[in-house]
Amino acid sequence: MIHQYKLNGYNIVLDICSGSVHAVDDVAFDIIALYENSAKQDILAQMSEKYLGKDGITESDIEECYNQITELKNAKKLFTPDTFEPMAGELKRKTSGVVKALCLHIAHTCNLNCAYCFASQGKYHGDRAIMSFETGKRALDFLVENSGTRRNLEVDFFGGEPLMNFDVVKQLVAYARSIEKEKNKNFRFTLTTNGVLIDDDVIDFANREMSNVVLSLDGRKEIHDRFRVDYAGNGSWDKIVPKFQKLVNARGGKDYYMRGTFTHANPDFLKDIETMLNLGFNELSMEPVVCASGDPSELTEEDFPIVCEQYESLAKLMLKREREGKHFTFYHYMIDLTGGPCIYKRISGCGSGTEYMAVTPWGDLYPCHQFVGEEKFKLGDIWNGVTNTETQNEFAECNVYARSECRDCWARLYCSGGCAANAYHATGSVKGIYEYGCRLFRKRMECAIMAEVAKMLGNEE
Amino acid sequence: MTHIKTIETKNLCESAKNGGCGECQTSCQSACKTSCGIANQKCENSKESK
Repeated sequence: MIHQYKLNGYNIVLDICSGSVHAVDDVAFDIIALYENSAKQDILAQMSEKYLGKDGITESDIEECYNQITELKNAKKLFTPDTFEPMAGELKRKTSGVVKALCLHIAHTCNLNCAYCFASQGKYHGDRAIMSFETGKRALDFLVENSGTRRNLEVDFFGGEPLMNFDVVKQLVAYARSIEKEKNKNFRFTLTTNGVLIDDDVIDFANREMSNVVLSLDGRKEIHDRFRVDYAGNGSWDKIVPKFQKLVNARGGKDYYMRGTFTHANPDFLKDIETMLNLGFNELSMEPVVCASGDPSELTEEDFPIVCEQYESLAKLMLKREREGKHFTFYHYMIDLTGGPCIYKRISGCGSGTEYMAVTPWGDLYPCHQFVGEEKFKLGDIWNGVTNTETQNEFAECNVYARSECRDCWARLYCSGGCAANAYHATGSVKGIYEYGCRLFRKRMECAIMAEVAKMLGNEE
Repeated sequence: MTHIKTIETKNLCESAKNGGCGECQTSCQSACKTSCGIANQKCENSKESK
């Protein structure tokens, strides 16, 4: 399978199964579109009619181009068949039972009352709760016990607002550090916070212990304060921005994401990205809202072309700033064409419910943070392990080839089958697809790959 | 006349040979938390062929 598109002056051809990316001229672009379904002589005749004499193009140029395409096909860099299906599920079988990441719901409560929160103001449609040290300690032990030979273990302090239970966060990190040498593990911690409770103590701790911090900021003050308000209805932008700036300035180059959400209220989210850049932040993530169908913040069909145009403009802005020496990263455009995941990972799905689980404040296990509160998805608990094997098997079977829609999608090896939670909320099945999200994903990938092509060709425009 | 510039990329077919160690990050842990993708993940397997 191939995918062809034109963007920002580039003609780009992706050979999906080899991972090859080609930047081509108009003649090659058109020949490639016809190559698999037309005879050589017919293609050459069509190209001659269209291009002969334009920009000095000769018949031999056209034939030479055709031959180059044939060479690429023979070299398995174009029209490469998909031979990966037998490998689907192999990675999960090989690592069956191994857990390598936990999302610790350290506090099911929040000091903000954001109307669009997928976690219903941190309560996940349940009661307010905070995790005790004993429960958190058992969760870490559960992770170590079930991690096999895997050395790097990921733990995210999540909520609600985890800083509302900061003492337990500190105790759990100290406990993890006390056992990692003996257990031959390396804990990588992440803290996801709304920033309200950030102070010097939090900054010192986060910058010392957290591999990554995820800081929630929606961009422009009026956009941020529309949703991200306290229980009295006051916006939080003025309070948190200086704290985020202080934390990031003191971070010493360690990873962070300034993470925003865009909704129907701001499909023109590039303005929010620009606000973040102007505030001095340059590791950015801006996510489409996840909400119930019919919610006023839900992105609409009318928003879709606006969002796509924003993604294109964002890629161009990134290239422009790169040229000016003002580099920034956008989570979804961080694509490493020469590195990146192997094919096993690309067809295996995200790992939710198998190698990654969420832990509630009272120690229940769920396939991921987005399923917490959906009782039927409860997998078990940290004392007895996974007992709901039927549901876990459903997640284990999630892969690129498990979804019929993915089989014909050119982006399948970039997305790995998508988000099970998004699919469930859109279709009622974890093996469904969230089509609107898929369309946005494809657009993001086109932009991300175009930006890489532009950088690699050194002709950034 | 150069009609096609092939960008250097990881060869996915080749990555089948030494890949699959499972050391890489889970997909949206420590990151966006709401929209899964794996394209931007790092490979943590030093033996893996590119």
